[in-house]
Amino acid sequence: MKMKNLNRKYFWLGMLLPFVFMLGCSKSFLQRPPTDSIVDANFYKTDAQVLAATQLLYSKVWFDYNDKASYNLGDFRSGTAYDAYNNRGNVLFNTTGDTPENGTAWRSFFIVVGQSNLAIININKYAGAEVSPQVKKVAIAEARFMRALAYRFLVMNWGPVPIITNNQALFADTSLTRNTEKSVWKFIVNEMKAVEADLPNTPIKPGRITKWSAQGMLARFYLTRSGVGANGSGQRNQSDLDSAKYYSQSVINNSGAALLKNYSDLFLFPYDNNAESLFSLQWVYSGPNDWGTQNSTPAYLAYSSEIANGDGWGGNIGATWWMISQYDGMTSIGKGDTIIGRTVDTRLKATFMLPGASYPEITQALNSGVVQKLIYPNSTSDVSFVCTKKYITGKAIDVGGQSSSQRYGNDTYMMRLAEMYLIYVEATLGNNASTTDATAYTYFNKVHMRSGLPEYRLSSTGTLLPITLDVIYKERFIEFAMEGMGWYDLVTLHYFNKAKAYAILNSQDRGLFTAKPDVFPNPTQWTFIKTAWSTTGRTINAYDGNFLLPIPTAELSQAPNLLKPAVDY
Amino acid sequence: MLTFPAITDRFKRYLFALKLVSLLLLINLMPTPALAVASVHNTGISKVTEGTQKQKISGVITDAETKQPLVGVSVANLSTNGQKFGTVTDLNGKFSLDVADVNSTLVITYIGYEKQEIKPGTSTFLSIELKPVTTSLNEVVVIGYGKTRRGDLTSAQTTVTSKDLERTVNTTVEQALQGRAAGVYVTQNSGQPGGGISINIRGVSSINGSTEPLYVVDGVQIQGQSVSNNSNLSWLNTADIESVSVLQGPSATAIYGSRATNGVVLITTKSGKAGDTKLTYDVQYNIQEPPKSLHVMNLREYGSMVNQFKTVAGGTIPGQFLDPTLLGNGTDWQHELFKATPMIKHQLSMSGGNDKTTYFMSGEYMNQDGVALGSGFKRYGFRLKVDNKPREWATIGANLSFNQTDQNITTSQGDVISNALQLSPQVPVKNFDGTWAGGDTTNGANTFAPVNPIAISSLTTNTNTNRQFLGGLNISLKLMKGLTFTTSLNGNIGYTNSTYYQPTYSIGWAKVVTATLNNGTGMNTYWNLNQMLQYYKQIGKHTFDLMVGHESQESKWKNVGASRTGFLTNDIYDLNAGDPLTSNNTGGSGPWAMESYLGRLSYNYNDRYLLMSTLRRDGSANFGDNNKWGYFPSLSFAWRLSKEKFFNVPFVSDLKLRFETGTTGNSGGGGIYSPMGTGATPNGTGFLPNKYANPDYKWENTKTDNIGLNVAFLKNRISVEFDYYVKKTTNLIMDALLPWYMGTNGTGSVSPPTVNLGAMQNKGWSLTINTTNVVTKDFKWESNFNLSSVKTTITKFYSNVSFANRTSWWMDNWTQRAQVGSAPWLFRGYIADGLFQTVDEINKSAVPVDNAGNRLPTDAATGVWVGDVKFKDISGPNGVPDGKIDSYDETNIGNPWPKMYGGFTNSFSYKGFELSVLITATLGNDIYNYIARVNSNPNNINLSRNLLIGAMDYARPITDAQGQVVLANPNTTVARISYGPNGNYTRITDKWVEDGSFVRIKNISFSYNLPANLISKLKMIKGVRLAVGVQNIATITGYKGYDPEVGSYVGNNTSANTQAIGVDNGRYPLTPIYTFNLGVNF
Repeated sequence: MKMKNLNRKYFWLGMLLPFVFMLGCSKSFLQRPPTDSIVDANFYKTDAQVLAATQLLYSKVWFDYNDKASYNLGDFRSGTAYDAYNNRGNVLFNTTGDTPENGTAWRSFFIVVGQSNLAIININKYAGAEVSPQVKKVAIAEARFMRALAYRFLVMNWGPVPIITNNQALFADTSLTRNTEKSVWKFIVNEMKAVEADLPNTPIKPGRITKWSAQGMLARFYLTRSGVGANGSGQRNQSDLDSAKYYSQSVINNSGAALLKNYSDLFLFPYDNNAESLFSLQWVYSGPNDWGTQNSTPAYLAYSSEIANGDGWGGNIGATWWMISQYDGMTSIGKGDTIIGRTVDTRLKATFMLPGASYPEITQALNSGVVQKLIYPNSTSDVSFVCTKKYITGKAIDVGGQSSSQRYGNDTYMMRLAEMYLIYVEATLGNNASTTDATAYTYFNKVHMRSGLPEYRLSSTGTLLPITLDVIYKERFIEFAMEGMGWYDLVTLHYFNKAKAYAILNSQDRGLFTAKPDVFPNPTQWTFIKTAWSTTGRTINAYDGNFLLPIPTAELSQAPNLLKPAVDY
Repeated sequence: MLTFPAITDRFKRYLFALKLVSLLLLINLMPTPALAVASVHNTGISKVTEGTQKQKISGVITDAETKQPLVGVSVANLSTNGQKFGTVTDLNGKFSLDVADVNSTLVITYIGYEKQEIKPGTSTFLSIELKPVTTSLNEVVVIGYGKTRRGDLTSAQTTVTSKDLERTVNTTVEQALQGRAAGVYVTQNSGQPGGGISINIRGVSSINGSTEPLYVVDGVQIQGQSVSNNSNLSWLNTADIESVSVLQGPSATAIYGSRATNGVVLITTKSGKAGDTKLTYDVQYNIQEPPKSLHVMNLREYGSMVNQFKTVAGGTIPGQFLDPTLLGNGTDWQHELFKATPMIKHQLSMSGGNDKTTYFMSGEYMNQDGVALGSGFKRYGFRLKVDNKPREWATIGANLSFNQTDQNITTSQGDVISNALQLSPQVPVKNFDGTWAGGDTTNGANTFAPVNPIAISSLTTNTNTNRQFLGGLNISLKLMKGLTFTTSLNGNIGYTNSTYYQPTYSIGWAKVVTATLNNGTGMNTYWNLNQMLQYYKQIGKHTFDLMVGHESQESKWKNVGASRTGFLTNDIYDLNAGDPLTSNNTGGSGPWAMESYLGRLSYNYNDRYLLMSTLRRDGSANFGDNNKWGYFPSLSFAWRLSKEKFFNVPFVSDLKLRFETGTTGNSGGGGIYSPMGTGATPNGTGFLPNKYANPDYKWENTKTDNIGLNVAFLKNRISVEFDYYVKKTTNLIMDALLPWYMGTNGTGSVSPPTVNLGAMQNKGWSLTINTTNVVTKDFKWESNFNLSSVKTTITKFYSNVSFANRTSWWMDNWTQRAQVGSAPWLFRGYIADGLFQTVDEINKSAVPVDNAGNRLPTDAATGVWVGDVKFKDISGPNGVPDGKIDSYDETNIGNPWPKMYGGFTNSFSYKGFELSVLITATLGNDIYNYIARVNSNPNNINLSRNLLIGAMDYARPITDAQGQVVLANPNTTVARISYGPNGNYTRITDKWVEDGSFVRIKNISFSYNLPANLISKLKMIKGVRLAVGVQNIATITGYKGYDPEVGSYVGNNTSANTQAIGVDNGRYPLTPIYTFNLGVNF
């Protein structure tokens, strides 16, 4: 009995132990790479993969900037447009460290920097023998281009900012300090020069940047940088001006880009990557769920869901009184609280909607159930809005079904040829009070006359009209209104002439008014009347203390190192 | 495939297990006297008939209470000369046994019953009644990977039994734990049926990761998830639960190693009992009451307020408000939204078996309509559990459960409750023509009105269906005396389906012209394979219990989501009915795997010294090769002083001191890879890295020291359990906190790397007192009182970053902060120091500044004015008040964590009647009443928002007879109407921080078991139980919102990393529920 028990015991143990030991898992049991995405080390192996790794640097990384910060900073702060009830901080030139768009813009530009840095590092690290040297060179150049452009936005909004080229090296390092404006400008100009040499003459894929995109940026950068050394009042640097002139001329002559015949065609769907575009953010509509690769801005600017897709929240956003007064033919009467007139400048209708204006390309679904081609409605209230037209493409039906709420596929211009003509003119003007340079007239009028305006050269009495900085700035404000440009033009001006920048800003009226057509529809003339009871918030006070944006409060509290004095890079 | 290096490598890893097994063998092979007679198993079946003075004894064993025969009771006999005999009772509870001699003793043991020793003397037929265990010390409790006697516990753990659970109306098991277990803080994040519940066991031990415990349901491990509209166990029928053990002490939890840092909740479902088939039917009908309305303005008050606003701020007064006295009450949106609703539950169960096989089977149907329109929960459940003993040395158990839940979450996902509180009474629910009404486009500010919440909850479809199959198979083999090998395979297969249909509608200004349907399906699979060797050995007064085991687990999930738009009718919720050109889809999947070796040694000397040691070694797929494996040891010791000879305190019946220490862990959620995310582009798919890889991060460790005391007085009439613990968590796993300039924040960003970020500590105590206050023949009064307190402190961040913020952008960037030296997620904001009463006061006080840092002017239009909020100047750039109100003056204004929480249960029974009252309490936590913040802002009248009645007393600056600007109503606390730069209503202040303490009568239940003589006439029916009850009947609180039990925000826009805690922005409230219950045994 006892023996038998023992035997059974050993039998079981003998049987069991190997079994128990074999139950250990193989080593691969605990190796679980993601099953729903490829990991970095296995990517960047072919030309197609490397190019796919830089394609989203044209869209998604800029998304948060484009979303609301583009017009909040670019247009509200510069006085081209205003929002009557929201975003008042930006409208009243009182952007604080807590203003949402201050934070999103700051974060977004640094997302561009971070992803560009990572693309450069990963391509260098993982691209193998299968990747052609040309593709590798172009892809890295694209990433450097984006990074330099992001730094242009950073330095112009916040002044000194830290230059980062390898984020991973900084995970454990919080000693990073800001770099001086001068050295940031040096960095981005040098980067863009290097990129210019690496980029191809024709895009490697539709919509991707070329040598001419880089040269165009160089023209823009040099023009702005020419004032950086002037400390707010002084001469612009002549060699920078010469470089701006050189590069703008080169793009005009060599790029093959051309102005579209009609200004309004620039924003008439489909317009993406047309002959005038030097660089556009490459948005795409890919269904009602995807987020980040589409253009969301139209949702906030379209005046009503009448012409949108369940969105259309821009009914209280429109041109400022000051902006309306910039267009030829708009005459101020009385004590300055009424404007009356019409304009031959086609840019007004292509940028803002006046009551009674019709847009056959956009479908309007009225409350009454009537569906028609858009006629911008008339309001009887003592407050009404000249809402945004630029970039508004209407309902899904107007774009072949390719849009839904907050999701639009139309591109955002980051640089178009018209700017090259105006840069050339401004660089030619340089530090002079005015210019009568023949090429400058030609180039100026290419932009000016496209909009239907008469040639700018001789007045009706035959006297020579000189090109001054005021003339150029007015042209730029009108040409680029609602493209997020006005603010950066003012920053460029502020570098060498602070007083003039403040004077422009402080003269603007940003208050409530109403716009009335003489007849509705098909008006021939409009009357704009300031809202009598609205007396506050009509003007702003720009000065040294509030001109640049403060670094976001939340960022300062988590990165107090940004409070240290800026150093050269 | 096995290669030779792989085999040697594996061999090394087995050394650990081998050592433990060798130890076991050594003990086993030791020649001891006990071994010589080792021929009958503990619950042996074999009858040993060797001996000299044999005598046959037979008898019947019944339950002392039910008088039912008990099957499988062990009857053992130790003769005076040391020989041993034994048998078990048959199906009729009968046994017969040859005993060695008449002076021997019969020892009768049965799990769940008190042990009896009987000297049969000359009797040959015995009628024995066994009493169910009532004193808790002998109660068998479930512990990690095993069972033990409650009296032998060396670690802190709490058990809640089915009897406790039956007393309250619980849709989900988490609710049932509330107030019943010390150390367990249960908050219902949403009163929505089936809604999310948070359980924090002994504080929180993570900053951004999940703080929910590990649930183990019949061996299936389920990691609790933080944010959800569903409670983690909403699928589980509470009536199927036999017991819930909440493991808290480090020694109890460490056996679950890396999954146990947040505590472990072990749930055991009911098993069959041998005997006659028991058939039970139970039906429960509940009526749920709507919450008590908050006092918002009616239409007359609203009209008058619009009037006043326009007078102050400018603009035209709408014609209909010129004389508000002519108006009616308008729409009462709260009344429209909340209704009394029913909840019904049917439950049928069957159990029984014989000495070889037992089974339990149950089915459930539950249907709960929410008190708010657009919410509801249904559950269908089926469970089968079979245990079989085919040979004396083998048992096989199988366990299958299937359930489905259907949840309607329209209310929670559509901000419906906050909209009902905010929508103007001017808007009717429906127009005269029967269409839904809404803020119109012609009526002043009504274009800013929220969309009709009744319409939204009626029109929108937002439902989730979950189906779950849970099952397992376990085999246990007795290899030799005391040595058992057990293997089990458990699995969990879940399938989810979500439908979100946004219809086309035209409600006032709000128009949706394109209907959208989003469908999502997900499947997850989990399996767990476990092998254990258990060895039990008694040598004299020494008892050893050794367990070694190996476990491997794997899970996989896969989701598919799809959508289409352009549905031409609002009737068909299927993608096929939409426009194919708008088709859109998403995917996603992920794997997880873990392998573990575990061991436990318990040693008990004469019930006096109890020692337990555990060790677990976990390997997780979440870590890189250099950190894959982690060790989690624990040691605990208990000393039962009352067993010592010197201990002679008559009124103390039991006294046990415990000490334990141990380590648990957390393996985080992965982060060793850098996956490439995709995005659409005009040139095909684009790729961007999603996350910075960090293959080097390590296990998060929580080391806990715990001292405990169990003391019982007056023959266990009063028992007290007390624990004090210090939990130190190091190497907290979370995403690195990086400044925004690192580009890790926002759309298209690279997420920060997962790192070991910091350390935190929980210190606390818990106290449980169980008393039997009165016992007479018919009447019994018992009480359970528990109270717990825990303090959580973040002790360190390893990087230079000094805090982490959680910002809710959808609530004016309302922010919570975790910083070194305090508890995580304190509310941030300014301190509102009343209102400015005079110009002089403004000039003497700190005021906000412009961008350049200059004081705002003292001016009604462009600066600070009388009636504006006076903010407290707390600090400046140099750490001292600087006379400027800016971001330096933001501070911690509230703490969402309670200082103490507890529960108090009293049960009274008299004959067949039973009354039970449960009171729960939470003390010392703060709530941010966000609804009050928004609804007290008089400016919001301009956005067609209704307001709390108090907002009508907004500050009114006037010029008095002396020409001074003063307030017409100086005692008001509501700031003046102004959009000025002082930020009266845009800054987050402590004005809306309220004390969230409450004492609640959670439950009263009264039941009656019909007496047997009454039922005996009905042949079919064996027992009838009638019960009535009420939940949440009264709450004492200072909180002014609907319900102080706020918890975490689970509404729109939130995710695990941004989940706000302790903020009430229209949380779905808990309301009174009246219950009627009928239970019948057949």
